[in-house]
Amino acid sequence: MSHRRYNLEESGRPAEFPADARARIDRILTRYPTKQAALLPVLWVAQETWGWISKEAAEEVAKILDLSPAHVDGVLTFYTMYNLRPVGKNLLQFCTSISCHLAGAERLMDRCAKRLGIGLEETTPDGKFTIVEVECIAGCDKAPSMMVNDTYYEPMDERKLDALVEKLSADA
Amino acid sequence: MMGEKVLLARVGRADSRSIGTYVADGGYKALRTVLTGGWTPEKLTDEVKKSGLRGRGGAGFPTGVKWTFVPKDTKGKPVYLLCNADESEPGTFKDRLLMEEDPHQVIEGIILSSFAIKCRSAYIYIRGEFYLGARILNKAIEEAYAKGFLGENILGSGYALDLTVHRGAGAYICGEETGLIESLEGKRGQPRIKPPFPAVWGVFGAPTIVNNVETLACVVHIVNRGAEWFAKIGRNEKNSGPKLYCLSGAVNRPGVYEAPMGLQMKELLFGADFGQGMKGGKKVKAVIPGGASAAMLTAEEIEDCPLDFDGLVAKKSMLGSAAIVVMNEDTCIVEAAQNLSKFFAHESCGQCTPCREGTPWLHKVLTRIEEGRGRLEDIDLLERISNQMANGMTICVFADAAIAPVLSSVGKFRDEFRYHVENKRCLVGPRSDDARPSTLNPQLVAS
Amino acid sequence: MSDNKPPITPGGGGAIPGPAAGAAPPSPPPPPPKDTFTVLFDGKPIEVPKHVNLIEAAKLAGIEIPHFCFHPRLSVVGQCRMCLVEIEGIPKIQAACTTPLKEGLSVKTTTEKVVQSRAANMEFLLINHPLDCPICDQAGECKLQDNSFGYGDQRSRYDEKKRQYAGFDRTLIGPHVIADMTRCIQCTRCIRFCQEIAGTGELTFLDRGGRTLVWTHDGKPLSNDWSACAADVCPVGALTTREFRFRSRVWYLEKTKSVCPGCNIGCNISIENRDFTVYRFLPRLNPAVNDYWLCDYGRFLSESLNLCEVEKATAREGDSVSELHVPAAVQKIAAAIRGASPSDVFFLGSAHLSNEENFLLRKIADQIGCANRDAVVDRSRARKMKSKSEWIEGDHAGANFAGAKDMGMSPGAGGYGLEEVLSGKAKPAVIVAADAAFSQIADDPEKVAVLRRAKFLAVAARTANALTRAADVLLPASSLAEKEGTFTNVQGRVQKFERAFLPRPPARAHWELLLLLAVALGFGDRDWTPQDLRRQIQAEVEGYDEVTEEELSGGILMKKGTFVSVGAI
Repeated sequence: MSHRRYNLEESGRPAEFPADARARIDRILTRYPTKQAALLPVLWVAQETWGWISKEAAEEVAKILDLSPAHVDGVLTFYTMYNLRPVGKNLLQFCTSISCHLAGAERLMDRCAKRLGIGLEETTPDGKFTIVEVECIAGCDKAPSMMVNDTYYEPMDERKLDALVEKLSADA
Repeated sequence: MMGEKVLLARVGRADSRSIGTYVADGGYKALRTVLTGGWTPEKLTDEVKKSGLRGRGGAGFPTGVKWTFVPKDTKGKPVYLLCNADESEPGTFKDRLLMEEDPHQVIEGIILSSFAIKCRSAYIYIRGEFYLGARILNKAIEEAYAKGFLGENILGSGYALDLTVHRGAGAYICGEETGLIESLEGKRGQPRIKPPFPAVWGVFGAPTIVNNVETLACVVHIVNRGAEWFAKIGRNEKNSGPKLYCLSGAVNRPGVYEAPMGLQMKELLFGADFGQGMKGGKKVKAVIPGGASAAMLTAEEIEDCPLDFDGLVAKKSMLGSAAIVVMNEDTCIVEAAQNLSKFFAHESCGQCTPCREGTPWLHKVLTRIEEGRGRLEDIDLLERISNQMANGMTICVFADAAIAPVLSSVGKFRDEFRYHVENKRCLVGPRSDDARPSTLNPQLVAS
Repeated sequence: MSDNKPPITPGGGGAIPGPAAGAAPPSPPPPPPKDTFTVLFDGKPIEVPKHVNLIEAAKLAGIEIPHFCFHPRLSVVGQCRMCLVEIEGIPKIQAACTTPLKEGLSVKTTTEKVVQSRAANMEFLLINHPLDCPICDQAGECKLQDNSFGYGDQRSRYDEKKRQYAGFDRTLIGPHVIADMTRCIQCTRCIRFCQEIAGTGELTFLDRGGRTLVWTHDGKPLSNDWSACAADVCPVGALTTREFRFRSRVWYLEKTKSVCPGCNIGCNISIENRDFTVYRFLPRLNPAVNDYWLCDYGRFLSESLNLCEVEKATAREGDSVSELHVPAAVQKIAAAIRGASPSDVFFLGSAHLSNEENFLLRKIADQIGCANRDAVVDRSRARKMKSKSEWIEGDHAGANFAGAKDMGMSPGAGGYGLEEVLSGKAKPAVIVAADAAFSQIADDPEKVAVLRRAKFLAVAARTANALTRAADVLLPASSLAEKEGTFTNVQGRVQKFERAFLPRPPARAHWELLLLLAVALGFGDRDWTPQDLRRQIQAEVEGYDEVTEEELSGGILMKKGTFVSVGAI
């Protein structure tokens, strides 16, 4: 299965930012001389609001920033950290760039995928985990390095990884 | 020898991130000196020029000289300073440390540099993965505003500066300064055609200077201790100042190390203050001296190898972001080259034909060889593809970076590639049976 | 490697410029500022305008620099990397399109490095390009084919699986444009067209690197008014038009300079035809009118030129309609005109008729001393076209209303016009409608009934409608492709269209039918051609005196004497 960033998925519901997110967007807009410049930060707000960026969210962002939806798509699909579909509660990001690769990152990632019974860029049926392979996350001295959502876990090894997955599985 | 810690002096101290400890340790003194001591932007620029400070992001361009490229008359346009905190070069993690552990040092450097180029609005473009770094910087910026180091009329000098953290979202190419500028403008991070150079026509069409995190941090110390002090540190005046080295790979003690510019590679790998030798007593096979974009060096080449701009140019490689990745005798070079080519195929922005088409091609050929499906002519082919991708064939130097690991590995370890082709397995290392296509380059797995 | 040296200035050969020692030399008078640069192409100096792109400058020097992404009216992106050249003093190879022109710039286009770099780039472009030229509509006008032939290497060393954009081929992405993205070379011309010219921005790059795809947001249609121009600018077969796809190999088509009949902007077109059939309209460069563009509405009128419903001359006797020869039919009309008082005859011209035809119609009216004349045009929704410098708007559903008026197809002194006829105020006994292709009347049974009240109704037409069915004598007329003439557009620009092929007998061009009528009424010469009529217009019609045949053949001119030559733009 290839994962090309071509399609925006529908969430099936209108994407209206909640008031606090809207306030954040308004604050963001004061920091830039153009509305377009706020695109990456506003997409982050969207991702933090819904966990991923749907077609509706992209269109809403385009509307707020006076951009064409196609422009928003172009940006959205260029940057790999924007999730184009819902991801699990725990986004397991394995770095496989050179230093982590030398430390066996792929074996660790494969082991994790096998344990969770999913492939890369797939989500467990319970919605708890999604596994993705990422490029260098600047954790090279603590290779293999990985992130769960916004937190680094490094250096990683099989034992630690098993314990981490165990713990995250147990968390509600 | 390690020498005095300058940039990392505060790293490891309790509460090193807070403005209180920073000021207590003499922080924002440089800012006071400049803003209330009658310094002009020109004087500060001259001081930085005299220090010999060269950009720490990769290209090594003299920082003070770069600043002078901002036109004297900007025709009413504002000037922007962009702090390049998109640290994404595989093997590099020094800026992450500086931002997470001593954010005010970086911020002070930004304020000083902004003053030097008469900038009133600066941005820190930080890579999206640095959630923690962004949070820390945002908090530090808030503190700096509250203390009057940012905002209107800083320290009563009349100088005003706004500073904003701008998060990237996963694109290596945004570390290229015009890719960064495009990204900051809310576009795909596709590098721009140069000229015009950013100093003349940068972000929002205005004169713009892009400096790396470490570079900006150095400015603080140049003000505090003088250009001469800075210039004297290091191997020579063209390779001066304290330097952060990112050591990773097959050594006992990987990490960020500070040393005077021009530290010997062997010292970094084996010195007691640094890497403390190879893990498990293995032999060095190859070293990447400046991140994935730098040509790898053999064990022989790291003898008498000063880690600075000119020292590595002499070895036909580069200091780059000073990311030293050490590979030991068990590393399969084909596999390493394949891994590096995967990175570049994944990160190419795709606008220029040779890079868009060439980076996946290199990866495919390397993958075939790695998986035991190579042919002898593939080895020459790798070199030929590489040689027709770079040196002006593309808008930016990404393609030049992408071919460096291929050309250096094929050139220096040709026998290993040959062995791989002929025996359909690695000469060394565990891999050859568990090779599998990567999802990061879907072309390989697409039907 | 060649060793080109800078040109030696006469009298100053080889001297190192610099301040002379001793007394300051008398300062020469400052030379007038030049608006050109002297640029060297392969050592040969040539003066080029300062504002042109290096690729265009080379063209002026007679040198072709191959390219894909560069387009004279779109922003320069330097992405395809095909236009590589060597610039003296710069060690690296450079993209010509992104190299600013400057005085003394020395460009080398034939060095070994240039040849190799172009071949390298062609190889990269082709590794993932499908070898489907035999079934690709772009074949024959494909830049990839042309440049591959001209600059590529026969062999490819690529032995991997080719990239496919599965699910993005053979897909209609708008009302007219079909995408085959596997053929795309990512030059972004279509994206830039939609952003910079149409201003609608439907298209974008998605993903990045070797996976980059051009597509629309959420499959939304590419449906701006000029959408087919995206296919025009596509250098390969990635975007083609639904209407032309698979209809003809382009090398079988003949090109004829013409003017779009769709509205009064008068976009310059090329009629592409073969075997008496029009296959498509393509925009024909005219920077002052439509530049490189053509709107979808006008472009796809091409098929209407093949529609022929009035194939024979017919005459009505009571309820029966019978065929007759065209000359006999014309004689009937002439007889009807002669049999009526001049004040009871009404001549109706139209915006679909050329200046020559409207002029001839007025001359006929003059000949019999009739002041009752008018011209008709349908209003359309406002259409817009971007010339090189500005937006031009038109709202007529015909190309030549201004010209018809200039030719005098308005009521003369004491005469009446169409309004009086339709309102019943005037009751002509004989009506000559020289054209019936306007729906305002022809598709309105009530208005046709009013016209029908005349004792004799003569109509020349090509397509059938209520008006042609009501005619007493109906003459078979030709299409735009089958005649020559001029239209005067909304800017007052007189533009010539040429004949692509002869009408199928017995149909004749409107002007031929009108000339037959003129001769039957004892006026004019059977040997007159549209050119002769133009000479008369020049002599007689105010403002048309400077319209000359020579300039018409260049395609661009202003009737008020402001001439623009094609070459300079």
